[in-house]
Amino acid sequence: MDAAAAPGAAAGGQQQQQPAPPRAERLNGEVQSQLNLEGMRARAVGLYKAISRILEDFDAIARVNPSGSPKWQDVLGQFSMVSMELFNIVEDIKKVNKGFVVYPRNVNAENAAILPVMLSSKLLPEMEVEETTKREQLLSGITNLPVPSQMEKLKARIDMIANACETAERVIAECRKTHGLGARQGANLGPMLDKAQAAKIQEQESLLRAAVNYGEGLRVSGDQRQMHSSLPSHLMEVLATGDGAHNFGDNSGAYPKNTPAFSPNNVNAQGNPMQASGGQLLGRSAPSPGTAGTPNFENVSTPPMPYANSPRSGTNMMNTPSPQQHLTPQQQRQKLMQASQQQQQQLRPSAAGMLAQSSVPQLQDLQGQAQQKVQVAGQQQMQYSQAQALSQFQNRQMQAARMQPGMSQSQLNQGNQLRSHLGQFTGAANSAMFTAAQASSNSQMMANIPGTMQTMQSQSMMPQMQQFGLTGGHPQRSHQMMTDQMYGMGGANTTSMMGMQMQQQQQQQQQGLYGNMQGGGQSLQQQGMVGLQNQQQNQMQGGGQSLQQQGMVGLQNQQQNQMQNQMQNQMQNQLQNQMPNPNFSQQRQQNQQ
Amino acid sequence: LTFFFLWVCTMQHVEALEVLLQGLSGVPKERVRVHELCLKSVPMLGAVPSEVRLLCDLAQPTPSWTIRHVGGAMRGAGAEQISILVRTIVESKASSNVLRYFYGIGYKLDHEILKVGFAFRFQRGAQFTVTVTSANKMPKLHATDEAVQVTPGIQLVEITAPAAANNYNDVVSAVTSFCEYLAPLLHLSKPGNSTGIVPTAGAAAASLMSSGGAKTL
Repeated sequence: MDAAAAPGAAAGGQQQQQPAPPRAERLNGEVQSQLNLEGMRARAVGLYKAISRILEDFDAIARVNPSGSPKWQDVLGQFSMVSMELFNIVEDIKKVNKGFVVYPRNVNAENAAILPVMLSSKLLPEMEVEETTKREQLLSGITNLPVPSQMEKLKARIDMIANACETAERVIAECRKTHGLGARQGANLGPMLDKAQAAKIQEQESLLRAAVNYGEGLRVSGDQRQMHSSLPSHLMEVLATGDGAHNFGDNSGAYPKNTPAFSPNNVNAQGNPMQASGGQLLGRSAPSPGTAGTPNFENVSTPPMPYANSPRSGTNMMNTPSPQQHLTPQQQRQKLMQASQQQQQQLRPSAAGMLAQSSVPQLQDLQGQAQQKVQVAGQQQMQYSQAQALSQFQNRQMQAARMQPGMSQSQLNQGNQLRSHLGQFTGAANSAMFTAAQASSNSQMMANIPGTMQTMQSQSMMPQMQQFGLTGGHPQRSHQMMTDQMYGMGGANTTSMMGMQMQQQQQQQQQGLYGNMQGGGQSLQQQGMVGLQNQQQNQMQGGGQSLQQQGMVGLQNQQQNQMQNQMQNQMQNQLQNQMPNPNFSQQRQQNQQ
Repeated sequence: LTFFFLWVCTMQHVEALEVLLQGLSGVPKERVRVHELCLKSVPMLGAVPSEVRLLCDLAQPTPSWTIRHVGGAMRGAGAEQISILVRTIVESKASSNVLRYFYGIGYKLDHEILKVGFAFRFQRGAQFTVTVTSANKMPKLHATDEAVQVTPGIQLVEITAPAAANNYNDVVSAVTSFCEYLAPLLHLSKPGNSTGIVPTAGAAAASLMSSGGAKTL
């Protein structure tokens, strides 16, 4: 290897001397295999840094305390590490030394004199003398023999010495063990631990590993997890200890009951009482969503912002003015009860909060937990709870509709948007609620609608569609479509509901179709329906037939689709087509204008 | 960000280890007191429960929270050969609301552990973090003041170093070589394997602790 390496390196050196165009120099293959240049450089750099750091420490100590001295124990330790590292590096380089040639690059006046000496491989005179004397000593007895035998003899000598060293080391180690070098260790030292102790240690070790890695042995059973009164400071403000409820894995998806303790900065913005109640509301109503089915929403008041950190906190409140909160607590409660029984999923509170402002896609994550919806604007609360109610709640819906005369369109739209994303719900009540809401807004809309539109509306049974289509002439996507998905009422109920609602609609001048799509609710699971770009005045008044058409693209400009028939097909078509998200955002924006 | 983990279970010679690490690293030790809460997502949130750990650093005057997600470990033949566990870890600082936030999105507390000890952070071919801690469990929920050691007398030594996907070989070698320095005192192994004690631990510890000082080469 050496022979091969040297010429290679020499050739490389020669090439360097030539004014060759710059090209990447490569190490000889063998050299490269033996020497990890990058690693070597890293180590060298690391060593350099370590040394410089140590020197800096010395300087620092000297500066601070001119007469002080560093802790020698540390220093010696570091020194030993450093020297060992240096030793290793040198060793590694020595292995491939032969592959390299030193080529002086920076020759100037001061270097020139000493360079020949440094480059020479000849020993210095003193060293040379020393070497010759040593050599004579060594080979004194055998210089007369042929070289191979000389080598053998020397080898034998080396082996003997190595053995001697080895035994000496062993003896030293044993003595250390038996006698102990440090007074502190005392009884711990000694011969190897006996088997029992070793086994015990092993077991403890596995315990520790299991505990840290997987949490074995650290899990506390449910009843022991009651939070006691004194939390450590770092958890004090994070968790609440009020009702002692806990949130450990028992309830599926139950929200922690600790949330009531919102951080002060958020809480204060809203006024404390509301938060406390909201929080508690959230906490207490959380555990039973669908699991136990026990209605415990007695506490459900209507603080619209349950979560202090939700985007709806603070300024968001403006979107849900008080008039919407007509809904009596009782009604809400009932609805919530129904909703909870119906739905097994929970709205994320943040999603609820985002109704007012956040982008529409987020709403799609909302799953209908009435409790969550409660936190939404009052109107929306009502809507949702309705949405989740069964057809039994028709009456309620009617009531709700009537109760919302004052709702602004924006509020309604908010609800609509929310509902759109709740499209995944099969709760028939969703639609009912939605329609109710829309009905109310319809009534309001009537005032705003241009005359022509009004006439059209008056004829249609789908005021919802029109509303959005009419406002300002903007292409309104009927959020109603969203609710279609929620019209999951059974077919049997549809007609009855329809009838009832129709009547009321007519009475109320186009109150929204309450259960338009309820019959076919189950099929309304379409998401991302593209194409409802300009659906103005989709006056779809239909019965409750299941939507068979899905993914109907292309209903781009359905203006004045005055489908006054009560066929749900058409309605469903349009409803479906009005599902896409971008519509909602547009609608929302428009509605809020 | 990929971290290396090389777990260790060490013996009682914590002081000796501290001396050794101090010598090796050249940096002063840092106090470690971390309240680690391991949260798991409820089953309904996904097919596979996901786990996230919240670490609250109680050593500082104001507690700071960190979210740590431990990903899967590197597998395969290459992983077997490497004596270090390589796995993906994502860490992020968070506000003190993080616990409430995770509760809110459906995570439940699986277990909590309090780690008390010291740590050394230094650069030695890789950015090392050597932590020597005793794992403590809390009899009552979140009662960090009443924590007791899970395994009295035995502490956990963790050596971790971050690495990227392309340089982890270097980090592996750096960590392995560093661990060799600790050989007299303790054996290190991957988290799944058990190590036992080192026979020379006692002697090594004694030599470290004696006033003679440094560990000899």
